[in-house]
Amino acid sequence: MESEVNSILVAAHELKAPLACLRQLAFSFDFEHDDQPSLERTRAQMLEVSDRAIKQINDLTKIARLEDGLFTMEPVAVRAVCNDVIDELQTLFRFNNRELNVHYSNRTRLVIANRNLLHSVIYNFCLNAMHYSGEKTLSELTVRDHAGSVQVLVRDFGPTLPMDVWREIKRGWIKKPTSIAMRPGSSGLGLYIASRFSRFMNAPIGAIRHRDGTSFFVNLPASTQASLFS
Amino acid sequence: MIFIIEDDLTMAECIKKACSPHPTRIFFNCYDAITAINHHLPQLIFLDILLPGPNGFTLLHELASYIDTAKIPIIILSSIDFTHQDLSTYGVIACLHKDSFTPKDIKAHVSAYIQ
Repeated sequence: MESEVNSILVAAHELKAPLACLRQLAFSFDFEHDDQPSLERTRAQMLEVSDRAIKQINDLTKIARLEDGLFTMEPVAVRAVCNDVIDELQTLFRFNNRELNVHYSNRTRLVIANRNLLHSVIYNFCLNAMHYSGEKTLSELTVRDHAGSVQVLVRDFGPTLPMDVWREIKRGWIKKPTSIAMRPGSSGLGLYIASRFSRFMNAPIGAIRHRDGTSFFVNLPASTQASLFS
Repeated sequence: MIFIIEDDLTMAECIKKACSPHPTRIFFNCYDAITAINHHLPQLIFLDILLPGPNGFTLLHELASYIDTAKIPIIILSSIDFTHQDLSTYGVIACLHKDSFTPKDIKAHVSAYIQ
């Protein structure tokens, strides 16, 4: 019971942050003194913050519906999903003075996954990377073949992942959102969501600790239908 | 010069706007802030506590340990409940809660501490 309450608390803390931002943005609207580009920029910021918050809440509600048979598994073109995520996040990265690079080396094009859930997993990894990479640094999204599966890996250049969190992720999934002391902007909610979705798709997630950052990855089962294309 | 140490760019820009027309610099982590403070002492610091890498307390300890930086007035901006009495030994003059502060609060502190 206590751990359930703690999980709700850390999730609530993370969901509260965009509301506090929206509140400040609303205050910062100055119709008398701001020029049109400034007003447009504030409006764009409000939309971006609220879109991200809505997406996170939608993902949380999806967790409760995972067993309802709503998320079918099918062959999915993994590069197309990555491209969608990059299109969606590129502006946000630029706005935060960060860069997201992509590197595709996978020969296997199709994986068995649910497109929406896979999109959320990659989106959450990238968002995590943006948050923890320093200003003007690069995050890298790599898609590569990996022992009969396709690995989507997102590398950031921020503080390395604490050992206890790394151990939990090494199991292949995260039991509950937990506060990550070295990476405090996040309660690990995005990581928890990614973990639940990837577990549903039989696609284990993992993390690699680097001296100058962390890589999070998901190993997706390759679709045998891919052989039809070769 | 006012230093804003806050890892959320949107929040940092709102604080910057409330400090206007005073010059400000934004830092997303304590490392960059400490490096900058070693070169130039700010007149006032707005400090978030939960930051990537070393948190705000690390910076508070660092600043309190030097005679010149110990005098810099610091305003904590956090979603954690603190009172400035708890942190007054660190040069903290006010604690503003992220859920409830307004630009007026920022402006009031800025005009009180910056000539």
